Amino acid sequence: MKTASQLKFGEKVIIINIDSSHPSSRRILEIGFTPGQEIELVNSSMFNDPLAFSIRGTLIALRRNEADCIKVE
Amino acid sequence: MNQSTTARIPLITLVGPPNSGKTTLFNYLSGNNFKTVNYPGATVEYSLGKFQLKFSLEANLLDSPGIVSLFPNSPDEEVSVKSLFSHPELGSPDLVIITVDASQLSRHLLLVKQLKESNFRIVIALTMVDILQRKKLDINTKKLGELFSCDVIKIDGRSGRGVRTLISTIENIFSTEKFKVPETTRANFSNDTNDLIETFKEIEMIESKVLISLDDIPQTPNISKANKQLRILIDPKSKIECYKIDARTLKIDKILLHRIWGLVVFFAVMTLTFTSIFWLAEPLISLVDTFFGMLSNESLKLLGYGWFGDLVANGIISGTGSILVFVPQIIILFLILGLLEDTGYLARGAMLIDKPLSKIGLNGKSFVPMLSGFACAIPAILAARTIPNRRERLLTIFIIPLMSCSARLPVYALLLAFILPADRSWLGGFLLASIYIFSIISSVIIASIINKMRHKLIKEEDNSSFILELPAYRTPKFKVVLNNTIMSTKAYLKKAGPVILTLSLLLWILTSFPNINPNIDKSGLNEEAVLSLTKAERLSTSYAADLGKIIQPVMTPIGMDWRVGVSLIAAFAAREVFVSSLALIFKVTTDETTLQNSIVNSMRNATVEETGQKLFTTSTIIGLIIYFVFAMQCLSTIAVSRKESGGWRIPILQIIIFTSAAYILTLISVNGLRALGLD
Repeated sequence: MKTASQLKFGEKVIIINIDSSHPSSRRILEIGFTPGQEIELVNSSMFNDPLAFSIRGTLIALRRNEADCIKVE
Repeated sequence: MNQSTTARIPLITLVGPPNSGKTTLFNYLSGNNFKTVNYPGATVEYSLGKFQLKFSLEANLLDSPGIVSLFPNSPDEEVSVKSLFSHPELGSPDLVIITVDASQLSRHLLLVKQLKESNFRIVIALTMVDILQRKKLDINTKKLGELFSCDVIKIDGRSGRGVRTLISTIENIFSTEKFKVPETTRANFSNDTNDLIETFKEIEMIESKVLISLDDIPQTPNISKANKQLRILIDPKSKIECYKIDARTLKIDKILLHRIWGLVVFFAVMTLTFTSIFWLAEPLISLVDTFFGMLSNESLKLLGYGWFGDLVANGIISGTGSILVFVPQIIILFLILGLLEDTGYLARGAMLIDKPLSKIGLNGKSFVPMLSGFACAIPAILAARTIPNRRERLLTIFIIPLMSCSARLPVYALLLAFILPADRSWLGGFLLASIYIFSIISSVIIASIINKMRHKLIKEEDNSSFILELPAYRTPKFKVVLNNTIMSTKAYLKKAGPVILTLSLLLWILTSFPNINPNIDKSGLNEEAVLSLTKAERLSTSYAADLGKIIQPVMTPIGMDWRVGVSLIAAFAAREVFVSSLALIFKVTTDETTLQNSIVNSMRNATVEETGQKLFTTSTIIGLIIYFVFAMQCLSTIAVSRKESGGWRIPILQIIIFTSAAYILTLISVNGLRALGLD
């Protein structure tokens, strides 16, 4: 399944679920990445890590390995 | 816990997610009438204040770090949650004001819901309504209040709009006869993420009920009138509008987070920050320096050259001067940090630097604490609490003392003034910049070495994480930032000032006693000569001299003598004490205009007692600079490091590793430079 870390810039997708085995999964959910939400990869830092996503009207930066636990369509 | 409000002053706690305008509201409500205090037992800082007099509301107001949920993720969040449920001295809050960013409703209502479930009595302060209105949307506060059965007030903590309504709402709640402190329960939020997903679904339902469109209605300044005409939105289009990112922010990020330009801007911002610290602070520093030098001389003339005059001039006045001399730098650094934070750039800086920092075992979130370390290690170590991962936090605390704090600046300034030719003082800035670059490179090297040996040294394993909101860019409010800067500087002075002054006085005693009135042969000498002979005799028979002679064997290999040794010991109080201590020991009695000039002159004439060689040469001065780059030379830092790391392990390692590195590198450089023919 595709994850948020594989998105191209400007690609908008819907979150399917969050891999709850990842230690950061709870915080990722709490900050607004819930199933059904639309996200878009907006920016990235050097070495393509961390990545900045648009979610619920704000920008959140996540490390690539954390974005990996966000499964998307 | 069911005390009536008449029995005690009610406690109001402010909570809110990061970037929800919580601290701005706190500052507005309390004016400057608050103090930062340590949380008993856990030593975490929060602010406790009273309402400004003009609000005529008698209540304690508690502010602590921002939280996303009641399920803490880092030490600072842990403290916020703990102090919310039951503060050891103040008990449970009578009322909780929660700041909610209106444009981030669906994310920020999570905390509201959790507070409600824990049975807190809450008032919602809705912030950033203007941002939402720019998107042609608004919030039906009445409806939102009904859904959470609490009051909802739109406020703007920057201009103060809505704050009066907030105050009268609070008064209303307290004056209700039946008012009692609610019994709260720390609900055991399960680790089950499915519950969280359900909660968000409920929140989204609420959101769609309270979000209203301003689209069809002509803009009217009278919101209450307009509210009646508004229709509640059911169509999902409004939600799409609400979830749109601020277009200006996206545009600015195209440049500031660009993979090439982003780095260029980042380095430019950092360079500008540090150069302005040097160049903006420089005239102010010499002003303070000159002023206290003058004051010291004048009071000596006025009070006479006896022990009392000496105490006032060289103990109290010079001591005070050594505290105030680095205030300009602290103010400028706090000011720049505050402005960068307020614009929203600091979060981007943390994101840009996360990957390189993670290579040496740190985190993007180490960036702000490390940057603050250039002002002072103490607030910097406290700021490291925002790092969730314990190992990264400890490593950040570990290397913060290597950041060149502003207390080192007077020392570098003095030492550089010594080796710089008078006609090339402009070189000073460049040399100073190279010292800073040298210290940054050294700390990177040391951090990566410590990181390599972490299994032996720090012994913590934890999930490394970087999750950070990048707030929308805003024009900073200079007045608000300036106000915060003054607050932090004051708090800092209150903390460090007494320690530095006490140690300066202790040092004065050590250098003046037991032989305060030495017997000297006065025959054939004029008054001035008698005076300087008295001082020299007093010092060479003082306690400091005894102490210095014990450490002489350590100082000789690095080309220095006991007098420098005593100053180095004194500098444990605070590094800048090194300057006032050298001044004392090398008998600043000349009528030079500035403290620095006169120290430099007496340093030029100083010789090593046994050999008669010049004591301060280019090589020993460079050696001293290198010593100060590395040495763990500050008692307050050691104390804070122990508290924050939760034990002696980290501070002891810091003392051993940094101080021995300092000594060995000084030894190598002094003797290396001499071998190369530089005296």
